[in-house]
Amino acid sequence: MADVDRDVTVPRRVWADGDVHKRELARIFRTCWQFVAHDSEIPEPGDYVTRRIGRDSVIVTRDETGQVRVLLNTCRHRGVPLCRADRGNTSHFRCSYHGWTYANTGELRGVTFQRDVYGKGGIDKNELGLFQAARVDSVYGLVFATWDPDAPALEDYLGPMRWYLHTVFGKFDQGLEVVGPPVRTMVRANWKPEGENLSGDGYHTFVTHQSAVELGLFASQDDLARMAAVAGPRFTGRTVHCGNGHTMRIQRMPLTVDAPAYFGYPREMWDEFDRNLSEPQREAQSCLSVGHGSIFPNMSFLENFKTNVDKQGDHARYIRVTLRYPLGPAMTEQLWFLLQPRHADAGWLRLSRLAYLRTNGPAGMFEVDDTENFVGITEAAAGDVAADLPIVLDGGRHHPPTPQEAGWPGDVADGDRTEKTIRAFHGRWQELMA
Amino acid sequence: MTETTLASPEVQAEAALFLALEAELIDDRRYAEWLDVVTDDFVYTVPVPVTPDSPFAPHHDPEALLLDESKESIRHLWFRRLEADMHEFAWGENPPPQFRHFVTNVRARESGDPDELLVRSNVLLMGRRQSDQPRYVTAERFDTLRRTPAGLLLARRHAVLDQTVIDFPQPRVLL
Repeated sequence: MADVDRDVTVPRRVWADGDVHKRELARIFRTCWQFVAHDSEIPEPGDYVTRRIGRDSVIVTRDETGQVRVLLNTCRHRGVPLCRADRGNTSHFRCSYHGWTYANTGELRGVTFQRDVYGKGGIDKNELGLFQAARVDSVYGLVFATWDPDAPALEDYLGPMRWYLHTVFGKFDQGLEVVGPPVRTMVRANWKPEGENLSGDGYHTFVTHQSAVELGLFASQDDLARMAAVAGPRFTGRTVHCGNGHTMRIQRMPLTVDAPAYFGYPREMWDEFDRNLSEPQREAQSCLSVGHGSIFPNMSFLENFKTNVDKQGDHARYIRVTLRYPLGPAMTEQLWFLLQPRHADAGWLRLSRLAYLRTNGPAGMFEVDDTENFVGITEAAAGDVAADLPIVLDGGRHHPPTPQEAGWPGDVADGDRTEKTIRAFHGRWQELMA
Repeated sequence: MTETTLASPEVQAEAALFLALEAELIDDRRYAEWLDVVTDDFVYTVPVPVTPDSPFAPHHDPEALLLDESKESIRHLWFRRLEADMHEFAWGENPPPQFRHFVTNVRARESGDPDELLVRSNVLLMGRRQSDQPRYVTAERFDTLRRTPAGLLLARRHAVLDQTVIDFPQPRVLL
């Protein structure tokens, strides 16, 4: 993880250049583990969703034995996609062109008029199963896949990041479920600016989201005082790089509490969080204002605490996952997943959902303002002079390392107005693109 | 939507005119006046679009929502920041995007409640961000209009988008 503080020079062309985009598809999206779905989207055998890895369409399906498969969505015969819906349930996929039929394990089961067309022994069905991801694995219900047979195990790829994922996704007795299908939006931006932001940019908040601050969506001193004793005016935070470009930012409300306090969740859930988290993890979750980060390259998660979203004085947390498909140098499809603990109180579930939709949801106020930045970055980078001009990424170099005693793994610093995580993202990106 | 009786031609015309004037208020950015033509218990919802695998399933999820707003949330979280003292920092809407509604196929039906009409309409919405070429989205609206002493008011709008991948300057719009 020594790459965090090395010099990382990033010219703006990385956001707009067609050759860079093609190289990313080969060097990053064909090799890295990538998020494809959540277990709760495909709970039963035969359930499937269609997704992308890079620009390739894939079917993510649970086969009849319960194993999750990630199948390239193109017939081995002449290339027609086998699956055209966003989701469904089927034991077999049949091609609409000549009728080749595959089990949801990917095995080729039927070739129409086989003897007539190919002759006896003219074709070996065992050789013509659907192309599928080399490895598929999951953590906390988050399913990842990679095309690379030599990729490290997911556990090793995530490294210390798994500890932080546990604080967000692993604290619930009965896990999380995705609410509905993901919303899909087309953004005329490169896929990286939003990822850079979500990797841990605590610097932009009070500028980009100034109107959200003024409208009371961030806890004011009065909001804080209603929860616990206020420790001071300043929210504090930490940022972490876990290696391989995986990063997170955790910001805490300035409150003094005697025991871990998970504001934003119903009190009756606090016991299960205490049980499911270690002591240093409780510290990462207690009085959380916001926690967000990215699994390199294109998946981000966000757990946010917001106030006054439906009625004056209310507050709630929500958990969001976003996934970005690089459809072109200046074209990204983004998927938006809301994850909820379905065993929680119905009134809280509703409030948490409203808090999400109205702030960090695909049609929320935050996204209107954030997206303008990402689209603008991409547009400006298309200029010939701008393309060569490096960006400034030195923020937070002076932030002190978090003391070992805190027990937070990875390369952690005290301070969350930083560019540490963006250096980490681009450091990893440059390693893979070299 | 249960089968109900079509309203009289006079009421059809009244509903169509209401929707045209309501759209005019949004397109003119006369937000305070728009709030005056919706009821205090107004609810605005848009379901999450999806491409289904069954020919009998709708092109949206029956439960999950993309938008779930009240009169108060629209007043406070959508319109307030567009006022003169805050507009400078409403970055994503500065310069303001332009919208234009084309409302057609208005069908008003009796609801069973003499004070409420069920009105379905189709809408084509143009959205323009900065100097970009305009983009378009269509939807069907399922509205409830209520007769009050203040006149006909919009009490409920559920709008179903005709787009699985939302490709519009911003999804935060009044369809």
